[in-house]
Amino acid sequence: MQSFKKMSYSRFDVFSGFLLVFFCFCIITVAAASAAALDVPPLKGYVNDYANIISPSARTQIEAELKAFEQSDSTQVVILTIPSLQGEVLEEFSIKVGETWKIGQKGKDNGIIFLVSNQDRKIRIEVGRGLEGRLTDLTAGRIIDLVIKPRFKRGDFDGGFTAGIHALIDATRGEFKAEAKRLPARKNGVSPYFTIIFFAGVVLLFIGRMSKLLGGAAGAIGLPAVLYLFFGAPLILLIIFGLLGLAMGIFLPFLFSAGGGPGGGFWFGGGGWSSGGSGGDSDFGDSFGGGGGDFGGGGGSGDW
Amino acid sequence: MKKTFMYIAVIFVVFSLYSCGYNTMQANEEAVKAAWGDVEASYQRRSDLIPNLVEVVKAYAKHEKETLQAVTEARAKVGSMQVSKDMIGDPKAMAQFQAAQGAMSSALSRLMVVVERYPDLKANQNFMDLQHQLEGTENRINVARVRFNKSVQTFNTSIRIFPNSMTNSMLLHLTPKEAFKAEAGAEKAPAVKF
Repeated sequence: MQSFKKMSYSRFDVFSGFLLVFFCFCIITVAAASAAALDVPPLKGYVNDYANIISPSARTQIEAELKAFEQSDSTQVVILTIPSLQGEVLEEFSIKVGETWKIGQKGKDNGIIFLVSNQDRKIRIEVGRGLEGRLTDLTAGRIIDLVIKPRFKRGDFDGGFTAGIHALIDATRGEFKAEAKRLPARKNGVSPYFTIIFFAGVVLLFIGRMSKLLGGAAGAIGLPAVLYLFFGAPLILLIIFGLLGLAMGIFLPFLFSAGGGPGGGFWFGGGGWSSGGSGGDSDFGDSFGGGGGDFGGGGGSGDW
Repeated sequence: MKKTFMYIAVIFVVFSLYSCGYNTMQANEEAVKAAWGDVEASYQRRSDLIPNLVEVVKAYAKHEKETLQAVTEARAKVGSMQVSKDMIGDPKAMAQFQAAQGAMSSALSRLMVVVERYPDLKANQNFMDLQHQLEGTENRINVARVRFNKSVQTFNTSIRIFPNSMTNSMLLHLTPKEAFKAEAGAEKAPAVKF
């Protein structure tokens, strides 16, 4: 009797185990099916010809033009061709591409995605928020209808892409300038750290005045802790800032009591800025990526 | 020494406010409001297009009075109601807003079906331009609605999860916001009669 009971329990366990595994499989297959709908392909450069419809010579020409345009105007225009939408809605896919690639500069939102699905014979021009004023839905629609569509209908993909890109560049030239973009971007990169250090400096000044030991300890622990909480900064940065905090906690009160308050504060501010200035144009190299531009669903669609 | 304690207390309070989600919830609520602004703007854009559309269609399709009338009426109804940013939390106001915009959408889609019968109209440059604008606007509405729903979800989650829910009940008293629901009847395409 005893053994029978035991057996039935274990059988039940085996059964429920199978059930569990079965459910897990169900969930995994459902998740896999939804993920496989149509993923946004990786961004390779200005021309992402996954459908293989652009000839190499047209491709190099378009890439050179788009690169020059980004360098002068900071506006990013990117081509994506895909073999098929696999049943997905064109507009939903193209906004997904925009959200993934983040074409256009952050804050300016000046990106354009020129999307073509070969088998569906569909065209979409997705326009970043910053360009919606110049390149309205209507203009985008007309460029598709009058410039791109007739050439695609003849099977002239190279001509369609080249002329389409020219029309898009003409429509948006002058809306943004490349030089104006660099300063604010750099400022944004530095300022949150800078602000934190500044406030930490004020707090450490107070604590350090009471006791150098306490100030040093508060700086060494407090500054990295704050950075970790706010930015999740990497370990190396945390150690560096720990040392900086230690130094600040010990020497700041000394500095201020010796050299007079406002002067010391100003000196600190100057230091923060000059370190930000050394960035230069190094990030304008050959590697290509979206600049963080935002899309709001503007643009036009068509088919051929 | 008393001063030391005061400083430490101030720092402690500031950090406990950060960790309890006080700022997160505020930021999320602002995000919902911003997303709502986009929704309103894109709906407004649609209503602004209607008079031109009606004019162009009228010139070619004089016999479609009823359909045109329905569109004009739906637009008037949409124009008469405004859901302000503070009313996003009110399910009733949201339901009314959705019903009015839904009526507008279905009146418009009926009009677009009718238009198919007039090849001259479809070839008209003005009409083609309007169609581009209308398509673009419908797409913006879609995007804005999806983003609004996402931000509402983030916000509603942030006021419900543990430490935040306590902060909310004690300090902020924020209520969950309403997301857009799929429109009733949106799943069935308008019937085409000849």
